Amino acid sequence: MSGTTKPFRRNNPSGFDALLMLLIVVAAVVAAFPLVWMVLSSFKTPAESMQVPPVWLPKTPSLDSYAEVAGVINAGRSFWNSAVIATVTTAGILVTSLMAGYAFAKYRFRGRDALFALLIATMFLPPIVTLIPLYRLVSYIGLNGSLFGVIVPHLANAFGIFLMRQFIAGVPDDLIDAARVDGASELRIVFSVVAPAVVPALAALTLFAFVYHWNTYLWPLTVLQGNTDDYPIVISLSRLLSYNRGAMNTHLVMAGATLAVLPPLVMFVLLQRFFVDSIVSSGVKG
Amino acid sequence: MMKLTRLKLALAAAVALPASAFAEPVNISYLTHWSPETVALLEAAAASYSEANPDVTITVQAVPFGDLLTTIRSQGGGAGGPTIASIYDLWLPELARDGLVEKAPEAVSGDVGAAWPAGIAAAASVDGAVYGIPNEINVYALNYNKALFEEAGIAEPPATWDALKEAAAAITASGEGRQGFGMINSWAAGVVHPFSSLLVSNGGDLVVDGKPALDSQAAGETFALYEEMIKEGYTDPSMGTADANTTGPFLDNFVSGNTGMIIMANWWESALRAGMGDRFDTIGTAPIPVGPSGDTARSISYSWLTVVNAGAADAEREAAWDFLSWLNGAESGENGASAMSGILMSMGILPSRSSDVEAYQDDLGRDFLAGYVDVLENAKAFPVVLGGQEFSEALQQVIESLQYGQVDAQEAQANAQADAESILERAKQ
Amino acid sequence: MATMTRSTITVMLAPAVTLIGVFILVPMALTVWLSFHDWSTQTGFETARYVGLRNYQDIVGPISVGRDFKRAFVNTAIYTALSVAIILPLSVMLGLLVYQTRVRGGHLLRAVLFSTYMVPMVAVALVWSKLYSPAEGPINQMLGWVGVAPGTWLSSPDTALVSIVFLNVWQQVGYFTVLIIAGLTQIPNALYEAARIDGANPVQEFFGITLPLLRRTLLFSAVIAVINAVQVFEPVALITQGGPAGSTNVLTYHIRRVGIERAQGGLGSAMAVTLMLSLIVVVVALFAFARKGERE
Repeated sequence: MSGTTKPFRRNNPSGFDALLMLLIVVAAVVAAFPLVWMVLSSFKTPAESMQVPPVWLPKTPSLDSYAEVAGVINAGRSFWNSAVIATVTTAGILVTSLMAGYAFAKYRFRGRDALFALLIATMFLPPIVTLIPLYRLVSYIGLNGSLFGVIVPHLANAFGIFLMRQFIAGVPDDLIDAARVDGASELRIVFSVVAPAVVPALAALTLFAFVYHWNTYLWPLTVLQGNTDDYPIVISLSRLLSYNRGAMNTHLVMAGATLAVLPPLVMFVLLQRFFVDSIVSSGVKG
Repeated sequence: MMKLTRLKLALAAAVALPASAFAEPVNISYLTHWSPETVALLEAAAASYSEANPDVTITVQAVPFGDLLTTIRSQGGGAGGPTIASIYDLWLPELARDGLVEKAPEAVSGDVGAAWPAGIAAAASVDGAVYGIPNEINVYALNYNKALFEEAGIAEPPATWDALKEAAAAITASGEGRQGFGMINSWAAGVVHPFSSLLVSNGGDLVVDGKPALDSQAAGETFALYEEMIKEGYTDPSMGTADANTTGPFLDNFVSGNTGMIIMANWWESALRAGMGDRFDTIGTAPIPVGPSGDTARSISYSWLTVVNAGAADAEREAAWDFLSWLNGAESGENGASAMSGILMSMGILPSRSSDVEAYQDDLGRDFLAGYVDVLENAKAFPVVLGGQEFSEALQQVIESLQYGQVDAQEAQANAQADAESILERAKQ
Repeated sequence: MATMTRSTITVMLAPAVTLIGVFILVPMALTVWLSFHDWSTQTGFETARYVGLRNYQDIVGPISVGRDFKRAFVNTAIYTALSVAIILPLSVMLGLLVYQTRVRGGHLLRAVLFSTYMVPMVAVALVWSKLYSPAEGPINQMLGWVGVAPGTWLSSPDTALVSIVFLNVWQQVGYFTVLIIAGLTQIPNALYEAARIDGANPVQEFFGITLPLLRRTLLFSAVIAVINAVQVFEPVALITQGGPAGSTNVLTYHIRRVGIERAQGGLGSAMAVTLMLSLIVVVVALFAFARKGERE
């Protein structure tokens, strides 16, 4: 029994169990309710979504809202943009984090710890602090108003470097030395020896980065500036709210929100195992 | 002989010039915040222009209202930015100062001066130079719910502030969860324009000769009116919240008959119709009630105009002005109206060109809009000055803090004047 | 650990260091520099005009620039403090619920909680604005069923900021719950065994073992929660626009409005620097507080 010994292991009256069960159910219902409401509302007619008192279950569930959303915001294009932004950014983060994480974990050089600390400090910097000059800087480089402008500034981040260093530190030196003896270049070692050894961490980083960059709003909004062709889905979604002065489009907003939520949720279902593991090993020890 | 040759040359040049200017295919873009249905109408108009001018193609780019100014600011002035942009007149002074928009060519500015009422042409100008072609005009009036008035035993919409308070008191008392007079919050224009309409109807002004005039007695009385309406419970500020879509509880409460009166602009007709259906007929339009220091009912107006990107190529700018002159000119629409006015009328928005107003006389005569057309004559343009946007947002904050009882009327007035002085002063530097 | 040639090290570090340098560290330095200048964000950096400390004087001054900033600063502080004060205890409670094995459902709860963290904040904001809707929203309807008067939620300056805290907590608590679970797995079972032998009850176990040993996790959670809270933007930009009566005007929203929309780059930068300095103070204070607790 000691393997499962945890807090609350005492043999209390069964009323305690009932209380625990009740708490779990209440917590799960409260957490799920807004999402359930969102999905239900997306099937309502415009009139139903404005009804007082509110209607819970749509009388005649319809998919009209979804068709209408597609017409208003060019949903296909927006989804594609979000996919490009999230995928390319994530790929970039994986590569830069692996390389830098490897160097910080396995190399000795002067100023290493200071440089690492400097990079890690940027993890705690809210994006708004650099937004104003970054906005101008990006237009100097000629990246404003394009997907490049959204992607390029985020191809490396401190969290990825930190996570990779933590995990690569645990990769045995022998493994790396053996590859060196075989004459493998350092770059080759990073991608064909070290990377396979830290797959769970890479999976977790993939999920973190993909979800973050699928959902992020402030920077694309600032850098794209009305270039509607390049809008990711979250910005198009916010446009649903204001696409028509004075219009009431709750049903549209709910349908659009439902669509936008799907990809990160699918990603989560696929990779959640790694997500939790990586938090366990990175968050707390750090 | 010499003279004749010269004349011939001049003639040849005159004929050749317009053609040669467009000889190369030109692509111009038109930035607006209109909804997809309205964009489709604009695209149709652009297509018929391109039929007659095959070298010019026009693409329409639409962004939400909230992104419009930043889009113009960041993309405008550059070669890649939109050639034409539709703007709110308040933004013009800054855009002109930063060199992002081009002065209208002489022919266009002459036409604007001749074909539009003087006040509206002035709002499209900075220091006397015309920068764009005005299109929509919005004006504020009192909307009231006739059914609630009847229930409360009031025959007429209020013509004075005293009558306004009486009517508001009666309606507030006539039912649970009702407010007599609705005030909007959380949306700059929705807060500031109704306040300013009451102010000018009380003989006051926001800005006189480029200096803020919120320290006047008329302004003091307006702040005091707000304070009284709130204190007496005729207005419930929590019923007046707006969201980023300029809808929200303030609209819902008026639509569902919880609000007796509200001061709003003509463009919300479509929202009322959509929300009220048959009950839309119970909504009346009346002039802004006159305050104790006022002599006649006045109101606030603001307009929109189209401007041309100063950073665009010569041929693009030339094509843009030509297209805009056509779009807003008397030949492009039906019955002597402009194509632009047809698009505006589809949204229930008032056109401003004098010949357009004439052409749409019948449509503008319909009950709801007629009340707005009537007040247009005595409307004052919301001041178009450098720093106008920030001025407007600061005044919004002051009025909202008064609405929610965070300051009293005197303090609100003092803050409003001090803010305005510092903002307008800073903007001039 | 190997000592490598300079070129190898450079190759490995160049991509990450260059990107972070150009897109975070350089802008960071520029923010500080711009905060001493009068500068329109729509023009090149060369047009910046040195004005000394004037921007800083203005943002704490009595006129609207200063009033709005101070209001936004206080709002952000309240928002952050409330978020942390709700998220930490709640995530400990939920973490224990997920971690316990007496009754089933822990894993399901974790999955539900964590899935809310995947939802884009834009969608969260839009959905919650409808949930909060005074008349056609389900929250007031449900309150009515149990005889509670309808809340004003986003419509009143007294409740709007708290309403946004709630939706933030809803979205984020799953992430922090997982952090807490991670912390709980690090606590050796032997400690609980020993406590049981000593006859400790669950309450004593919680305050004697669980909470003290979660200190590092809680410190980490608090720092992350603070950093996340000051970034709140979407609900304000999409629903309240900072209102009513400035009650939800928070710094990320306000700095963007001043620095980007009004193009007052110098003023916006001074606000950003003030935010950054305040954050440093808060984070250092949190660490000092945790260290003091550890010594005791």
